[in-house]
Amino acid sequence: MNGLRALPFAAIAALALGLAATLLSLQNGPGFGAVRIGAWTAWPQIGGSDIDPYARASIAVDGALPLGANEGLAFVATTDDSGAPLDARCDYLIGGRAPSARFWTLSAYDVDGRLRPNAADRYGLTSAALLRDSQGGFVIDAAREARPGNWLPLGEKSRFILVLRAYQAATSVVENAFEAMTLPTIARGACS
Amino acid sequence: MSPPLSDSPRAHSRRIWRLSWLDRAIGLLPWILGALFGAVALHLLIILALPAVWPGGAYRALALRLPLGEKLLLPRADSASRDPAFSDPFAAVAICRFDLSRGPLRLRADADGDHPFSLSVRLADGTIIYSANDRQTPQGKFDVLIVTQAQADAQDSKEESKEDVKPDGAQDSAASASAAGAAGDAVENELRLVSPGARGFAVFRVLSLRYGDYDAAAAARAEAQCQLEKPTP
Repeated sequence: MNGLRALPFAAIAALALGLAATLLSLQNGPGFGAVRIGAWTAWPQIGGSDIDPYARASIAVDGALPLGANEGLAFVATTDDSGAPLDARCDYLIGGRAPSARFWTLSAYDVDGRLRPNAADRYGLTSAALLRDSQGGFVIDAAREARPGNWLPLGEKSRFILVLRAYQAATSVVENAFEAMTLPTIARGACS
Repeated sequence: MSPPLSDSPRAHSRRIWRLSWLDRAIGLLPWILGALFGAVALHLLIILALPAVWPGGAYRALALRLPLGEKLLLPRADSASRDPAFSDPFAAVAICRFDLSRGPLRLRADADGDHPFSLSVRLADGTIIYSANDRQTPQGKFDVLIVTQAQADAQDSKEESKEDVKPDGAQDSAASASAAGAAGDAVENELRLVSPGARGFAVFRVLSLRYGDYDAAAAARAEAQCQLEKPTP
């Protein structure tokens, strides 16, 4: 009978551990099957019916409408290429190779999924509107202050997330062959 | 049990303390295992239940403001709105909610060819059961009928019984042949989607290529149609 004195402690421990494990799993993005290319991460399985329960829960909590497999693929970056967290007090040069897709967009978000408020009221760039060099290359300047050329305003708050959406991505991407996928690099510049 | 003669009183008490600690640990083991099992069970329960009960989930949020079979044109995403989260500011989105227990839902849209256009069908828990873009559909036309398995079976048996009672020579006249052809084309281009769940929503997404191009994309998504159909008797 004395052993029953442990019951409340066991119940509290189960509750605390269960909630902590749930919070941790939801913080780590939508489930399993993440694909990492440089600083970018995508979760292709969330676009189809083989989505896992962790991804479903994560999407419900985010309140997001992810892209279907035949719509495209969204890549998220929370760090630059060196692994340092993205910080709006710094400038970033985003460039190099574009994803193989019919069309792509790039936007900056707060960590809660809201577009970054900025004085210019510009919330992103598209592949169709980019200024390019004679070889088709491009450089995007992500910074708080206005820049000539391809400028992505970052707003004032420090932490931010970049989301690159490759719409109607090449068949190889949809079929989960990501080895040949190329995405822009994210290089940190000067910080204030 | 008496202590060995070589034991000092201090060593003896240490041994007793170790034994009682071990006894206590063994006594607690079932509780520790029970707590771990309970934690895993609770974790899995929350993960599985979240899509259905989380108030901020897309379907639950839509259910509060969007009647069945009607279309909601989402405003352009900007920094003032977070609904839905991580929205693309270049995407013009229209959403229809369905409950197939009230009847099938038909979705129709024509892509203009200039703006990438896509359609996805999602269950209430967020699972995407179908998605397609305008380059995968005939002439960029979408014609999708979402049904339950029972509704699909009812439609099939109705079609079969129609074919059984068709009189010979019914398609002799040019008019009836043309009508049959038109109906045939419509059926050929129609995609019947058997949904594993009764409740869900469809998302039309039209992309503006540039910032100033959004109004054209928004007009294209506004043309998309959602229509509740009567169930086959």
